[in-house]
Amino acid sequence: MYKFAYHKAKNVKDAAALLKKAGDSKLLAGGQTLIPTLKLRLAGPAALVDIGGVKELSGIALKGKDLVIGAMTRHAEVATSKVVRKAIPALAALAETIGDPAVRNQGTIGGSIANNDPAADYPAACLGLGATIVTSKRKIPADKFFKGLFETALGDDEIITEVHFPVPKSAGYAKFPNPASRYALVGVFVSRNGSDVRVAVTGAGEGGVFRVAEMEKALQKDFSAKALDGIAVKPRGLNSDIHASAEYRAHLVGVMAKRAAASAA
Amino acid sequence: MKWTAIDDFGIVINPMIVEGQVHGGIAQGVGQALLEGAVYDKHGQLVTGSYMDYCMPRADNLPSFNVDYVVTKCPSNPLGIKGCGEAGAIAAPVAVVNAITNAVGHEDVPMPATPQAVWAAVQKSAKLRKAAE
Repeated sequence: MYKFAYHKAKNVKDAAALLKKAGDSKLLAGGQTLIPTLKLRLAGPAALVDIGGVKELSGIALKGKDLVIGAMTRHAEVATSKVVRKAIPALAALAETIGDPAVRNQGTIGGSIANNDPAADYPAACLGLGATIVTSKRKIPADKFFKGLFETALGDDEIITEVHFPVPKSAGYAKFPNPASRYALVGVFVSRNGSDVRVAVTGAGEGGVFRVAEMEKALQKDFSAKALDGIAVKPRGLNSDIHASAEYRAHLVGVMAKRAAASAA
Repeated sequence: MKWTAIDDFGIVINPMIVEGQVHGGIAQGVGQALLEGAVYDKHGQLVTGSYMDYCMPRADNLPSFNVDYVVTKCPSNPLGIKGCGEAGAIAAPVAVVNAITNAVGHEDVPMPATPQAVWAAVQKSAKLRKAAE
């Protein structure tokens, strides 16, 4: 680990000011990705701004037609929340599959989304439910938030405060976990909300999470696993690494999409 | 899924310790058969350098084990005992990979037989079936 300055933010405004002032700085949320990265000296920010003590960033509530989750809400809280389980059970189930108990008790939804790991689970839920990411500056639709590998629409001193998930009629998530890390080798989130049907894939794309228009069209006509019969995703543009080839990932997208649709139907 | 391991460890003095050794050995064998693979890139750099990439077997990768013994007293030492340290690890990979080759119908299955390797083996059996028709 390299040397860095440590600042503890009192509130969101304070955190944004500290981020701006410190220059080459990073926000510390749950630290489940950032701390190992620092330990391995893969990153060496001059300063960390810790938002762990900012209470206003944490919490789960139903507001109108949206399920609102604060950025610092831990995965374990989402997984066990009665509100989430009732409103969007697939989202609670997704949170339950992230990492291991230690990760789930520390890691946060905001941290996961801001990091935008191409194999993380939450980006699939955000894109698959058409969420809105609320920051200290603006509201960003999920469709415009995830920009590529570990890249988002966030500015340097912009902080995610809440994620608004429209409560769907039904939703499902199916994940084929990497047996070692339990990140998604491929994860597919499907949802339907009136005429809006979404299919979002994580773990597979070279550019991170993406939607599958052909599957969405088929599910709009008939929201069932059977409607996805014969729809194949092409390996081109999918990740190929030591864990799975692009061809195998393409195959898994089809299988996971069907499982997700079956669990949502 | 059912797993039974029967060994001859001679006279068993402490069954709990012996059974624990067998459990650990089976886990190691299943890991070798299905999960554990050291991968190097073309520059010789180990790319499975952490447990995020190198898959050690964990409790949820394994079924419960039925362990039993046949006792043949060892004639070459006064206690009549035999070694048990790695017994579980010897038959486990063979049993697992034989089950897979039996299921896919051919023997072209690498270790570790990861989901992708098994998927590829299933594709190959489909091809072999087609060629045979």
